[in-house]
Amino acid sequence: MRNVFIPILSLIICLTVIGVWTLGFSSFTIFSYTLKKAGELPRPLPDIQMINHEGIVFNPGEIKKYKLINFVYLNCPFVCHKINNRLEQIYNKIDTNLVPNEIEFLTVSFDLKNDDVKKIKNYHKLFKGEISGWTFALPYQSTDRYFTDFLSKLGIWKYTVPSTGLINHSIYIFLVNRQNQIVRVFDPARESDEMIIQGITQCLKEK
Amino acid sequence: MPERKIKIAILSLLGIMIWLLSFTLNEWLIETMPRHQLIQLPSMFFIGVLMGITASHHLKPDLPWSIAVLIFVMFSLLFWMIPHSIDYAVISPGFNRIMHANMLLAGFLTISSIRHTIPEVKIIFLGMVAAMIIAGGIALLSFNILLCSAFTIEQQKQTGTLLTLLGIALYFFMAFILFSSLSKK
Repeated sequence: MRNVFIPILSLIICLTVIGVWTLGFSSFTIFSYTLKKAGELPRPLPDIQMINHEGIVFNPGEIKKYKLINFVYLNCPFVCHKINNRLEQIYNKIDTNLVPNEIEFLTVSFDLKNDDVKKIKNYHKLFKGEISGWTFALPYQSTDRYFTDFLSKLGIWKYTVPSTGLINHSIYIFLVNRQNQIVRVFDPARESDEMIIQGITQCLKEK
Repeated sequence: MPERKIKIAILSLLGIMIWLLSFTLNEWLIETMPRHQLIQLPSMFFIGVLMGITASHHLKPDLPWSIAVLIFVMFSLLFWMIPHSIDYAVISPGFNRIMHANMLLAGFLTISSIRHTIPEVKIIFLGMVAAMIIAGGIALLSFNILLCSAFTIEQQKQTGTLLTLLGIALYFFMAFILFSSLSKK
């Protein structure tokens, strides 16, 4: 009995530690861990004031439409622009009756040090054609600590690499309903544009 | 020189190495993923192994305990290959020190457990560790998304390549152990 008990006990302890650490063998990266730790869906969008590319201060919770929210920073060398290019394709493919009447796109910069209204306005201009219903914004009068807290409540991980200043972060896209509840989280690394559009239209139908 | 003095000298040298790797060179070692995963982590394990060699005459675990310890060693290695753990180790110096202590302990216990266990367990242990390292390497190579927020995709791929090669080398080592033990019989 002892011969079996000791190795089995060791196995159980080790599995328990890893199970707890990965939230039940489901979150192996810090990105998925932060998202899962933020809570089950639907959950409320944390409160925050923002300023858009036109310099208007607003609260995303006061927009009584569906909102598709993603996070970028303008000095990002690669992934943020790739995600925004994907969003541009989604924006162009989505039913024109839906944007901006039913749903708005909101791209938020989390580089509080380098990005400002002028920069996001110029960035907004880079997108081809009229993109009404797609707002670019920055946190308004937000401290680094408050914004980091907002992001972790939302389920976004952000880490600034000290040596390069690059911000490594989650790329999740959040769908928020009219009642300001996060109802879907899309992972553009795993989901195609079609899957995201299908997910959005499905949620809008369920309203 | 008496044996005891040699042991003290070796242990002092290992202590200095731990200090260098865990404190003096820590900033440099956590700067890139290959340094962290392929220098700092294995170095701590091998320092633990060297410490374990000096003490292996005193530690004589029986078969159940040696299996239990080898399970602990395997899971320790697995734990520090999880991207979430790697990120925390880089972000939090305290958590990184836990990694160092864990690796030292795992290395320290490995030698006495390996020495006092049956060949089948040795082969399974080495085979599973090699398989785990290769799987980890392939995972890092095949994902085109960032798995650890503290590093870059290029570093992730580089670490993946080196881990895969290390795992393959360990497989050959395991085969060597297997065939040499068979030829002895």
